[in-house]
Amino acid sequence: MSELLEMRENLRNFYSRYEVYLIPLFKFILAVTALVFINGSLGYNSRLNSPIIVLVIALMCSFLPVNFIVVISAIVVVLHLYSLALECAIVAGVLFLLLFLMYFRFSPKDTLVVLLLPLAFVLKLPYVIVLGVGLLGTPVSIVSVSCGVIAYYLIYYIQTNAAVITSLDGGDNAVAKLHYVVEGMLNNKEMFVTMAAFAVTVILVYLIRRLSVDHAWTISMIVGIVTCVVLLLLGDLMFEVNISIAAMLIGAVVSLLLAKVMEFFAFNVDYTRTEYVQFEDDEYYYYVKAIPKNSVKKAKKTVKKITSVL
Amino acid sequence: MLNEERIKLMTKMAAYEENEGRKNMATGSYFRGDYIEMQILKSIFSATVAYVVLFGMVIYYDFEMFMQNIYKMDLVEFGKNTLLYYFIFVVSYAVISYIVYSYRYSKAKKSLKRYFYNLKQLAALYDLESKKL
Repeated sequence: MSELLEMRENLRNFYSRYEVYLIPLFKFILAVTALVFINGSLGYNSRLNSPIIVLVIALMCSFLPVNFIVVISAIVVVLHLYSLALECAIVAGVLFLLLFLMYFRFSPKDTLVVLLLPLAFVLKLPYVIVLGVGLLGTPVSIVSVSCGVIAYYLIYYIQTNAAVITSLDGGDNAVAKLHYVVEGMLNNKEMFVTMAAFAVTVILVYLIRRLSVDHAWTISMIVGIVTCVVLLLLGDLMFEVNISIAAMLIGAVVSLLLAKVMEFFAFNVDYTRTEYVQFEDDEYYYYVKAIPKNSVKKAKKTVKKITSVL
Repeated sequence: MLNEERIKLMTKMAAYEENEGRKNMATGSYFRGDYIEMQILKSIFSATVAYVVLFGMVIYYDFEMFMQNIYKMDLVEFGKNTLLYYFIFVVSYAVISYIVYSYRYSKAKKSLKRYFYNLKQLAALYDLESKKL
């Protein structure tokens, strides 16, 4: 354990020393990952698929605020969809525009969730983002989580139905494609089940981790992931949405492990040394529970100089 | 001579000025009413754009039915309903932004108060030092 803690301290020191270079690097990696994912699932516009364009956009993103990556990703999605069908681009464009106008105007700190959640969906690990939001954020983040779910299912729906959408070329019915996409989205029960399950999970994790019981973070993670899986299975039974159960269970277990890693970095305390103190002042009684953080002092290197004079 | 306490305080304040403080100072430079009013006006603008986009989308979606019925339906009634929904939409969004921004303003003011308190402490530390010399 102490080695792990020392490693964490070293990582922290490394990060604080090279923060100036690391942050643009992380933004660059995130932007490249997002663009590669978008091009991989919706590569309808051959110009946007070129690696040079991806690199140029990612480089630009690495020097701009993080939220800019979300905006750029949305624009790239709309451009790809425009190459497929104008109607798809309109649906996605309106959705993103409403999102930016209505929600991101409050410039919340969790805007990035909207980008990270679809990426995590592709890796079959959306639960880790949901747990992370519950552990580190507030219940308001549900809006961001829901937006991320909608964004993923929109891309997924269009990707799987691209052939049908392009074949719908009814000359007399100019809005057939639009009807197909909008109805497909509104009748997507899997999306709504997932949104509801994630929302409940975020609230539950948030409420439990704020309790004053020992190991609140671990309990909240386990309860959260179990609730999420049970709700998704219930939704599966009720609406027959065909969620792959094996993939979901593996994803849940891996997400739990990742959340434990997150806890190690964000909330590492020693419950064996908990102290309870009580005192009062003129206005209040205080019942304080103080839990010390785990920490280690860095092993100091001592350099012994041996000089010999001959 | 270096004064450790003063350096700690200055470092803390410099970090604050760099990150959170800059935003809070921009917020705090307005009067409460002015700040909230400005944000609500911005909200009304974005809600209006959002409503127009949504309205356009709905019309486009039901374009054929709309075109078939355009001579049959009561256009005044339709206009009235559209305006009513617009009004409800904008007002509810403005109320939400009022709550959010008044909360943010009071939070920014509180944290600025702490900052100015630290400034005073810093000045006191300097005073103390100059007296010692």
